[in-house]
Amino acid sequence: MIVLIAVALGVSLGLVLQPTVPLDLQPYLPIAVVAALDALFGGVRAWLEAIFDDRVFVVSFVANVLVASLIVYVGDKLGVGGQLSTSIVVVLGIRIFSNAAAIRRRVFRA
Amino acid sequence: MASTTPPQRRQRADASMSLLVDLSTDALDPGYAAAAARKRAAGVDDRPRWALVGATVAAATLVIVVAAVQTRASAPAAAKSRSALIAAVDRQSATVDRLERSIATLSAEQAKLRDASLASTGAGAALARRIAAAELALGNLAVVGPGLRVTLADGSAASGNNRVSDRQLQDVVNALWTAGAEAIAVNGQRLTAQSAIRQAGDAVLVDFRPQVSPYVVTAIGPAVDMETRFGASRTAARMRGTSQLYGLRFDYARASRLTLPAAPDATLRFARPATAATPRGHS
Repeated sequence: MIVLIAVALGVSLGLVLQPTVPLDLQPYLPIAVVAALDALFGGVRAWLEAIFDDRVFVVSFVANVLVASLIVYVGDKLGVGGQLSTSIVVVLGIRIFSNAAAIRRRVFRA
Repeated sequence: MASTTPPQRRQRADASMSLLVDLSTDALDPGYAAAAARKRAAGVDDRPRWALVGATVAAATLVIVVAAVQTRASAPAAAKSRSALIAAVDRQSATVDRLERSIATLSAEQAKLRDASLASTGAGAALARRIAAAELALGNLAVVGPGLRVTLADGSAASGNNRVSDRQLQDVVNALWTAGAEAIAVNGQRLTAQSAIRQAGDAVLVDFRPQVSPYVVTAIGPAVDMETRFGASRTAARMRGTSQLYGLRFDYARASRLTLPAAPDATLRFARPATAATPRGHS
C-alpha cells in the first residue's frame, strides 16, 4: 500500500514539478534510471522471498545510483564514458532480467 | 551493492568465464540474504521502516519519471531544429532557382537586343550568325533534334552495387559524346564543356545540382548511327552486365524529337581572350 502511494507520489512529483536536469547531469540520467530499476526489482524479489530488509534496500538504491554515475563520470574523464555506460547497462540489465524472471517464477509459479 | 561476506564458492570448471554466471546467480543483492541471516541469528523480527522504503521508492520513481520527461522534452527540440534546417535549405534552393530564371530571362533579353543592334549592318549580321553558331556549340541555346534517350535507374533495394554511381553516369555521357552526340542533357540539365558529374554522399550531382534516380540522359545527334555505336560501346556492354547482375535499370531508345534546354551561362573568372582581335567575351 505504502509502496503504491510512494510510486504515485513519485510520478506526480515528476509530472507536476517537471524538474529540468542540468545539462552536466544529463548523461547520468539513463544510468541512474537503470540503477534505480535494478534496486526496485531487487527489492520486490527480496519481498517475495520474504527476506526484504529496509536498510539493504535503501542503501542498495542510493549506492547503485551513485556508483553507476561515478563510474560513468570517471569514464567520461578518461574518454571511455560510452563504453563504461554500456558495461553498466549490460550488467544491471542482466540483473534486472534475472530478478524479473525470479519474480515471475514466484508469482506465476511458471 | 552493500558489502557482505562473500558466500563460499567451490571451484567451477568454467571459473574464468564466471562473470556472466555470477551475474545471473547473484542477481539478488547478497545483502538481503545476509540481513535475513543476521535477523534470524539475533532472533528479532522487526517490521521494515515503511517511511524509509516509501521515500526510496518515491525517489526511484521520480528519477525514472524525470528521465522520461527529459527525453520527451528534448526529442521535439531535435526534430524542430532538423526541420528548420530542411526548411532553410528548401528556401535557399528556391531563391537560387528564382535567380537562375531571372538570369535566363535577362540574357535572353540581352541577346535579343544585341541581335537587333547587329542586324542593322551587314558586318553585324555576319557577326550575329557567328555568335549564334558559337552559342549552339557551347550549349548556351536550347536545341531540338532527333537523338537517343538513355535511362538509368537504381535497383529496387537501393544499397551499394544496385545504385547508379557518378562513374556510370559519366561513362554513359562520354560514350554518347563518342557516339556522335552534339548536345547532351541529364535529367534536363544541359551539359557543357565545363559540366561535372560527381557524387556527394548518396546524391549524384550534375553541375552541382543534386539529381535522383531515374537518370534520363538525352542526347541529340544522328539517331540511328548513335544507337548503333552506343550499343556497341564498351560502356553499354558493361552497363548491361551490371544491370543484369544488380537489377539496376539501363535501357535506351531512339527519339525523333528531343528538346534540350540551354545551359546556364558559363562564368569565366580567369580565362580571357588570348588576342585583342577576338570579337567578344561570353554573351
